[in-house]
Amino acid sequence: MTTGRIVVDHRPIPYEAGDSVAVAVLRAGEHPHHGGTICLAGDCGNCVAEVDGVAYVRTCQTPARPGLVIQRHPALGAPPLRGAAQIDVTNPPPARRIRVQRSEAEVVVIGAGESGTAAAAAARRQGRSVTVLDARDGMEAVAIYAGPTVIVRTPDSMLHIHAHDVVVATGAAELHPVCPGNSLVGLVTARAAQQLHAAGVDLGVAVAIVSVPSGVPCTSVPGRLLRIEGVDGSVSAVVTADGEGSQERTTACDTVILGLGSAARDVLSRMAEHLPVSVVGPAAETFPLPAVPTAGTICRCSRVNVEDLASVWKRGFRELELIKRATFVGTGTCQGSVCLPHVRAWMAARSREIPEPFTARPASRQITLAEASAGVHVDAFRRTALHDEHLALGARMDRFGGWWRPWHYGDHVAEYWAVRESVSLGDVSTLGKLVVSGQDAVEALERLYPVRVADIRIGRSRYALLLDEGGHVIDDGMICREAETRFVLTFTSAGAGHAEMWVRDWIDTWSLRVHVLDQTMSLAAINVTGPLAGQLLERVGLSSPPRYLQHLRADVDGVPCHVMRLSFTGETSFELHHAVDRSVELWRALMAHGRDLGIAPHGLQALQGLRLEKGHVIVGQDTELDSTPRRLGMEWAVKMDKADFVGRSALARTGGLPDHRRLVGLTMPGSAPTEGSPIWSKGEIVGQVASSFTSPLLRQAVMLGWLKRTPFPDRVDVDGRKASVVRPPFYDPEGARARA
Amino acid sequence: MLALETLAGLRIVASPEALDGVKSSDETIALRLAPDDALFLDATEIQVTDDHAIAVPESGFVGVWLTSAQLVERVMPHIEWSMPEERPALAQGLVAGVPAKLWLDDDRALLLCAAPYAHELTERLG
Repeated sequence: MTTGRIVVDHRPIPYEAGDSVAVAVLRAGEHPHHGGTICLAGDCGNCVAEVDGVAYVRTCQTPARPGLVIQRHPALGAPPLRGAAQIDVTNPPPARRIRVQRSEAEVVVIGAGESGTAAAAAARRQGRSVTVLDARDGMEAVAIYAGPTVIVRTPDSMLHIHAHDVVVATGAAELHPVCPGNSLVGLVTARAAQQLHAAGVDLGVAVAIVSVPSGVPCTSVPGRLLRIEGVDGSVSAVVTADGEGSQERTTACDTVILGLGSAARDVLSRMAEHLPVSVVGPAAETFPLPAVPTAGTICRCSRVNVEDLASVWKRGFRELELIKRATFVGTGTCQGSVCLPHVRAWMAARSREIPEPFTARPASRQITLAEASAGVHVDAFRRTALHDEHLALGARMDRFGGWWRPWHYGDHVAEYWAVRESVSLGDVSTLGKLVVSGQDAVEALERLYPVRVADIRIGRSRYALLLDEGGHVIDDGMICREAETRFVLTFTSAGAGHAEMWVRDWIDTWSLRVHVLDQTMSLAAINVTGPLAGQLLERVGLSSPPRYLQHLRADVDGVPCHVMRLSFTGETSFELHHAVDRSVELWRALMAHGRDLGIAPHGLQALQGLRLEKGHVIVGQDTELDSTPRRLGMEWAVKMDKADFVGRSALARTGGLPDHRRLVGLTMPGSAPTEGSPIWSKGEIVGQVASSFTSPLLRQAVMLGWLKRTPFPDRVDVDGRKASVVRPPFYDPEGARARA
Repeated sequence: MLALETLAGLRIVASPEALDGVKSSDETIALRLAPDDALFLDATEIQVTDDHAIAVPESGFVGVWLTSAQLVERVMPHIEWSMPEERPALAQGLVAGVPAKLWLDDDRALLLCAAPYAHELTERLG
């Protein structure tokens, strides 16, 4: 009795109540996947097709319903990746977002068959809450992770179940044949034959190999299966023999029913080794391996035949994991459910040792990217307290170092000139800010930093590199002394998180009595910079601003601030560190009081150029993982006469050796080349540009770049133009403007 | 959308023993962020017996009080870790992929995070 129609390859096909898509297709006299044994148990990939736009769907596990659109995969090759050009992995279309439901359970039983039902009943008798999952009920466990956490696919969501105990009761899968002709249409397992017969599907002239499914009209064919013969891709006969060398027997038929035995359906239990997971029923049994295959396709998913195994074996791949990697056997749709017993049997015949099954990894079934990424969040990017102020000022925001930051406010050159000629505000709230306090604070910082710390006077600050044990620069910032035993340290925005861990780790390692407080996200910071910066601060109540490299606590327009005098832009600069909840108020006050001074905010694009003109390095952009102070031309920032500091021994050891890398300044007429551009000398690439900027003031391109061949040349080619190697800074080399 | 508001208080980093000995008023909620780090909500002055303690006003966290039902409905689906069973308790971890904290009381919970994450947390929790 027809109850509806599905659309298969653009043709309507009727289905009956209770049909899966695969059964409906078979009922129509077709094959859902162009050939191969049908198991109707979800174990193999021989019925996968595109269902409503999703590829590799097991049609035997998909109930037919009106209007379902099925597109069979190509007989050869992969199905087309539809809409690949439109996919934005960072912003998937809402239609593909899959909901995640998280829950906890005392016991999760996977499989509602006989053994699973018994296990669930036993757990309930112990008073434990039990969740039973079964693919037939739309609850398909596809992975078990540490925890244990069971990942379940449902028709409309994913479940992540945190369980105390997991019971795998997934039963056993029927063996598929491996012999010539095993990719023909007309092959079904014994249990599939029973299902099809019960569903009223005509199997035609059917013969059964080895075991005969009860109730299914068929003829039992004795003997060992040798091959299956076909016409036009469909079964026409099965060939068997009673024993080695005995006469072949050919039996004409339309369908071959294969009762070849079973193998534990154990991919989930193998995935959960070393986890509190128990396995019961047939899934825990050890079944005899199938007959050693001699020919035919052994892995239909990856199109591997027995000859392929022989080929890699001959080339020395004698371990199951190596054979898997060399041939891709077991890496396809069924994840080895079909081929693994045959491969193990084949290897055992050669090595006389049965290899352990290969590693099982999530997921046990194809899941879509949307299902795999369900509940996974992209990195959370922080916003400074001034985020909305930037937007209101027309900023183009971008992500840097884990923060949203203004790249520019429409005209980075105008922002540049505001800094050089009047006064400008920069949001530097993203800088790392650590308070360290304790009787061993000086000792800790002396050991951490390559500069002297003990002689920094209270109210003064000092620039410092942070080195790793290899003497490589990992961050930089300021050391501000607030009291004999208390300091404020600043770090780069991108490096702050790592620097904090670095400081804490060493203090802990040395067992020093030092407290550390990370205020990176509690304090905002505004950099007031430009030749009129002091004048602006005077207007907002800071009549005695700190001198260069000094710092103090003061109210600025009523907002308590830690005011640090330094300079990254090359101009007079004051960093105002203050509570995040007062930041908007302070920003607006500064903007208002500076209006007639030509105040304008500057974004990162302008800042990159301003600091580049001064030759200031940005750790992470201009440095590489093995950049030492010497390579950066910053040996002045290392006091090798200190007794010790992190990285000192490495610097002492390598300091006398010749070096072949140097970060240098470069200038050339015209506009700046793209950062990363190769640097050429005598027709060879000798390095690359790390930072570049078209200087409005100097009217040329200024760059920092790496030279990696010695002797270091004085003239190089960049972007097809001649460039000069020069010593930075490019602007105000005496630092008069910063100190003004 | 959850309305996260600034949580004012006092942040103290000191020796664990000194923090153990801190006496605060009954109205003050003390969030022990780490053995040597505590946030005293709504406090302005706390005595701590550690000469080198770092005690600073803290306004870098934002938060919202939730009923038990709101916690279950709005927040729990976005948490992949197990909740402590005792009350009161401070739980810390990712909520919808955002570093956050939960102060769990008998019949209510305070969801809080660092201010720079406020927008991510509210957008993700909806």
